[in-house]
Amino acid sequence: MSPPDSLAAAPTVQENPHFEFLYWVGCAGAYDPRAQRVTRALVTLLNYAGVNFAILGNEERCTGDTARRLGEELLFQELAAANIATLAKYQVRKIVAHCPHCVNAFRSDYPPLGGRYEVLHHTELLVQCLREGRLRLPNALPVSLRGPLTYHDPCYLARVQGVHAAPREVLERALEGGADGAVREMPRCREKTSCCGAGGGRLWMEEAPQQRVCTQRAKEALATGAHTVAVACPFCLTMMTDGVAAQGVATRVLDIAEILVERLRL
Amino acid sequence: MTPTRETFGNIPPSSQALFYLVAAVSLGVGAIGFWRRVRRWRQGQPIPPPALAAEALGNLLARWRPGLRRLWVEGLGQQRVRGRGLSSWAHGSLFIGFLVLLLGTTLLEVDHLAGMVSEKLHFHHGAYYVGYEFTLDVLGLVFLLGTALFFGRRLRRPASVGHRTTDWYVLGSFLTIGVTGYVVEALRITWQRPVGLGAWCSPVGWALASVFRGLSELQARHWHLAVWWLHALLVFGFLAAIPYTRLLHILTGPLNLLCAPPAVGFLAPVTTAEAEAAGRLGVRDLRHFTWQQLMSLDACMECGRCEEACPATATAKPLSPKRLVQDLRGLLDGLAPGGAGDPSSGNEERFNVHARIAAETLWSCTACSACGFVCPVRVDPLRLILDLRRNLVAEGGLRGTAAVVLRRLQASGNPWGLPPEARTDWMRGRNPPASVGQPTS
Repeated sequence: MSPPDSLAAAPTVQENPHFEFLYWVGCAGAYDPRAQRVTRALVTLLNYAGVNFAILGNEERCTGDTARRLGEELLFQELAAANIATLAKYQVRKIVAHCPHCVNAFRSDYPPLGGRYEVLHHTELLVQCLREGRLRLPNALPVSLRGPLTYHDPCYLARVQGVHAAPREVLERALEGGADGAVREMPRCREKTSCCGAGGGRLWMEEAPQQRVCTQRAKEALATGAHTVAVACPFCLTMMTDGVAAQGVATRVLDIAEILVERLRL
Repeated sequence: MTPTRETFGNIPPSSQALFYLVAAVSLGVGAIGFWRRVRRWRQGQPIPPPALAAEALGNLLARWRPGLRRLWVEGLGQQRVRGRGLSSWAHGSLFIGFLVLLLGTTLLEVDHLAGMVSEKLHFHHGAYYVGYEFTLDVLGLVFLLGTALFFGRRLRRPASVGHRTTDWYVLGSFLTIGVTGYVVEALRITWQRPVGLGAWCSPVGWALASVFRGLSELQARHWHLAVWWLHALLVFGFLAAIPYTRLLHILTGPLNLLCAPPAVGFLAPVTTAEAEAAGRLGVRDLRHFTWQQLMSLDACMECGRCEEACPATATAKPLSPKRLVQDLRGLLDGLAPGGAGDPSSGNEERFNVHARIAAETLWSCTACSACGFVCPVRVDPLRLILDLRRNLVAEGGLRGTAAVVLRRLQASGNPWGLPPEARTDWMRGRNPPASVGQPTS
């Protein structure tokens, strides 16, 4: 079966055994309809930039982050062992993922179990591509990106893994030429970011409307006057979309990869 | 004549002897209190100790480097205490004032002991003396400023800051120690009548001495001895009180900075074999925490930073990281310092943490790591919560959608419970890219 858009197609590790990066799609990126669009955006960018990558396809399993943080340690280790074996089978050394929970699992949870890789969040790889000129941005800024923008740092990316400069650099480059220029920061940003409410398995739990963490965070994001809320995590994407919707505004919530695709008019 | 002053000047030998006796008693009382806390921590689980003998010195250094660095940057450098406005200034002033006064008193004692060996070894005179007196004179003011700021803070008492009655006694004693220190100095200046640099190097004491100008030398000497004793007794009272009050953090804070795992929310994997050997997973009994985790409970000052950063607290869920740590600490207080019962069995229902901490509290956490990230002494409430969650889940304490998710993860390797073959369906996706959406204005 041939995919509709060749730029949004990814080879599996069997199809491209000499890949440099394994793109770890993650469960949200694979199954959640909204996050699937992020996957397509990122794959489009990787193809466009000429990154030599492959995906595990149906051999991928959940990294076990949710299980571990819910307290299901043995299930986490089962999943981790299966993934470590699969990654070993294909001699994976470098991984790129667009989910900070996956990144954190690979960087922090897997090494004690024997899984050691060079792991990049997609914003880190995108910065490299932009710096090396592999992603050339057209001069004109699309109308859709001409409003002010704010960026919500994911906890596991900014606070736990300390990655907050790369996403900003991607955004600043993507917004270059616009009147608003730089990212409008929320009071709580970078390592001091505030949770979207989805971590620790909370994504899967019921929450009374007045107790929703995402509502509070969305209010903070909207208070910057942003027309676009950029995120870098599929969980944050779900929660911030809900939170913004609860405020009854049409502010867009987009992953950084989607914003870059928009700038490149791909 | 080189500027100096006699150590124990005007203090008769009987008072000096009594001084050392009281010092020994107060240090003893303090040490006993601290040891009683240590014995409680030791009922926690051992952490695989660094194999001292087998390890090369380089490895050992590498292992301790993060902790030592934290002691330097976050302890002495106060890195994590900063950034909270006036209360950071209050702590900074008290901290630097206390440290310098402590160092000064220690140097004085060293000089005194050195002089006993040989008169030539005395160094408390001349330029050193002038610098010493001036520094301590100024830092005394800094110490008092910090105390005053903390008095103000306790009076206003923000909701997130914990409070006990003993806090007033502690601050009261700090204030009195600072003030009596200056009065002793002023009275000494009154009867000693130093001139030139020897007088000017103590500006605060010199200024205060003008208050006592009317006293005769004999009167000044009498008052000097009396206030000196008051000052000494207060200091010894303070030393003895450390492990019994909030002051305990002076010891446990740096200790926890040294020993805490380097990463926030870092979890050690538990193997099936270990779980079978222990007959449990995670923490049920308080003593199932590691000794370092139990010690960290004693490092909490209830400053409330974690509570202010917690998204669960902010949305009125039944979780406050500070409350959790304090509740666990309450349980720790109940542990017999002698370690009654077999600590490894953990069958004593009295220390069942889950009887004290509601499951709802534990499930409210989003594992965002904000609490541990802001803690000045690196208490890690998230790790406490995750250890407790492990036990809850193992005992079948998780219900609802989250439990369903775990079953799906088990069965299909993803939280949606969809077949692995569908993992590449995103390539065939037909929903329009997000960029088609209209921008807002």
